[in-house]
Amino acid sequence: MVRGPAQRQIRPARVYQTVTTLMEHRIKPRLAVQQPVWYKVVESIPPSEILTRPFPPQHKQPNPRARKASRLFQPQKLVYKEDELRKKFYTDHPWELARPRMIIEMDGKDALRCDWSKGLRQPGMLLSGECVVQRQMYLMENVPGITEDGAYDQVRKEFYKLRQEEEIERRIAQEEARMVGAYFGQTFQQVGMQLEDQQFERWKRWATREIEKIQGEQTAAYTSFDATEDPDTGDLDVDSLREDLEATANIPPVSK
Amino acid sequence: MIIREFGVRHGRKVLAAAAPLRRGQQQCLRALSTETSGTPVATADPAVEAALQTNPENPSPVPSLFARDWETAQQLRRNLMPVGTKVEHRYSPNDVFRNPPGPKDVTLELLMASQAHMGHHASVWNPANARYIFGIREGIHIISLEQTAAHLRRAARVVEEVAYHGGLILFVGTRPGQTQIVTQAARLAKACHLFTKWTPGTITNSDKILPGIPVEIVDELDRPVGPAFNQHLMDRRALVPDLVVCLNPLENFTMLRECSQANVPTIGIIDTNTEPTWVTYAIPANDDSLRCLAVIGSVLGRAGEQGQKRRMEDAKNGKVTWETPSEIKQFMEIQQKRARWSKRAAEEEAAATSGGGGPNGQSSTTPPKSSDRSYGRTPSTNRDGTPIFHADEALAELQMEVDLVNAEEDVSPQLRNTPRRGD
Repeated sequence: MVRGPAQRQIRPARVYQTVTTLMEHRIKPRLAVQQPVWYKVVESIPPSEILTRPFPPQHKQPNPRARKASRLFQPQKLVYKEDELRKKFYTDHPWELARPRMIIEMDGKDALRCDWSKGLRQPGMLLSGECVVQRQMYLMENVPGITEDGAYDQVRKEFYKLRQEEEIERRIAQEEARMVGAYFGQTFQQVGMQLEDQQFERWKRWATREIEKIQGEQTAAYTSFDATEDPDTGDLDVDSLREDLEATANIPPVSK
Repeated sequence: MIIREFGVRHGRKVLAAAAPLRRGQQQCLRALSTETSGTPVATADPAVEAALQTNPENPSPVPSLFARDWETAQQLRRNLMPVGTKVEHRYSPNDVFRNPPGPKDVTLELLMASQAHMGHHASVWNPANARYIFGIREGIHIISLEQTAAHLRRAARVVEEVAYHGGLILFVGTRPGQTQIVTQAARLAKACHLFTKWTPGTITNSDKILPGIPVEIVDELDRPVGPAFNQHLMDRRALVPDLVVCLNPLENFTMLRECSQANVPTIGIIDTNTEPTWVTYAIPANDDSLRCLAVIGSVLGRAGEQGQKRRMEDAKNGKVTWETPSEIKQFMEIQQKRARWSKRAAEEEAAATSGGGGPNGQSSTTPPKSSDRSYGRTPSTNRDGTPIFHADEALAELQMEVDLVNAEEDVSPQLRNTPRRGD
């Protein structure tokens, strides 16, 4: 939906003043305007200030060598320390982004339930790159003398170990399930290949039909050519000729 | 295969242990067992064997299989309940409807978890919202949750006070998915709701759009006053809400414009691309997240509920927090005058028939039929001239509600009168 530029309205914010004026200055003195129900309410709880341009919250250090202010009244970018760590982790492990992840929070206090001193596994949270980043942050802030790379290396190795455990657990669970009679159907790859094969078969049927059609047209053209040009085709073996034509559809037959 | 055989074996045992079987059931069981497995199912248990080989001539009464299965399933469930994974309660979208948070429960964490802080892309912002914006993250504006909480509390106070003063509140949310939010808020605050299109002119052209809408007149305890005001209600104009809460101002510009023309204060949820001057009280929040809207709607609904509760308590203690609308006052004055005139006419008539100045007692016992006849337009309920004047505090209430059942034309929100819903 295309909208035009928003129109500023002045009446909504000034509804109290408008009604006060109406009540006080009457054109017809005997026509009393009754006080609205909301009048005392809006009087005691006035609307907030709008259309002022504040100095926005500052999230970066001002450049001391800048000679004039730039974008003084525009909101600034929010930058956190974890961003770099996150970027580095996901650059090194891009396929971690392909794993499903829970992004819904329960009550907003989910982060308080995690204790990153205890390792990467946290209650109510799947193992993911975010665990690595948070644990790394914790180590960087709480372990004396640890560097960013050192913390990354340490947490990375913990992460690999846990992922390996997960893999093994999954494989064993699968084996156990298969042993007691479960079957898991086709994998996504197999389903994809099957669909692709179906499409190929469809195309093959269509192509065969098309070839037959073209060949039929060509055959019809040549038979009629023969019929008009050479009246004594009765001597020839038409069936063998047609077979020859079909066998070499692209090669024009040599005239007699 | 293994599992199926297991089930058969145990089902056989359970059935045999529960009650002796009849011949037909035996056959069924045998058929079942031979179907599932080629190997013969041995019943080593002598009790089972005995039960299966009961004399078929005198079968004992058998309870229905269905009830017995159900009991078995219940037993199984009771036994297996503590076994296995412990399921914790996680977030569910219906939590906010099962247990709606009130103004006291508004925290920055709750607002953040309900995604109230996410605005729109920085390129589509409305600079009038600059004071509500905390920063830019991944290209979108982040709304300052402190501002959101402050404005939400302010709006909740307004809703509560308007409800306390007996005002008519209307909750509007016309985007898909907002129906439940709007209806719940209206139910809590005893207000009206709208979740379909706002018919343009419902306020400014209400004589044409809403002719003859049903209106109820109630007293300070929200009890209907009765038929005494029927004549007034017949030529009464449609009422205008005293407060409008709009969840999606972008789509409801017409409504907000009409409200401003009719001097109705409005509360609206203002995203970073919305114009904040369209509403009186802005709540800066994400208007695209239904979870956020549900939280805000339930907070406002709870505030209205609190206001209604306070109003009813005060009314029970004899304190009325609102004034009678001027139209009703005027109507009552006219009725009082008419009653006085009819009384005087009756007195004069009585004096004329008795041939002299009658005593006061005689005039008071005069039947009101004569007065009815002489004036013609006096309300029929005015039997002795007194009852209708007790309704000094009468509140006209408009219940604007989209009648889902009767909305056949489906164009305009039908304005009808609904019975007061009890708590």
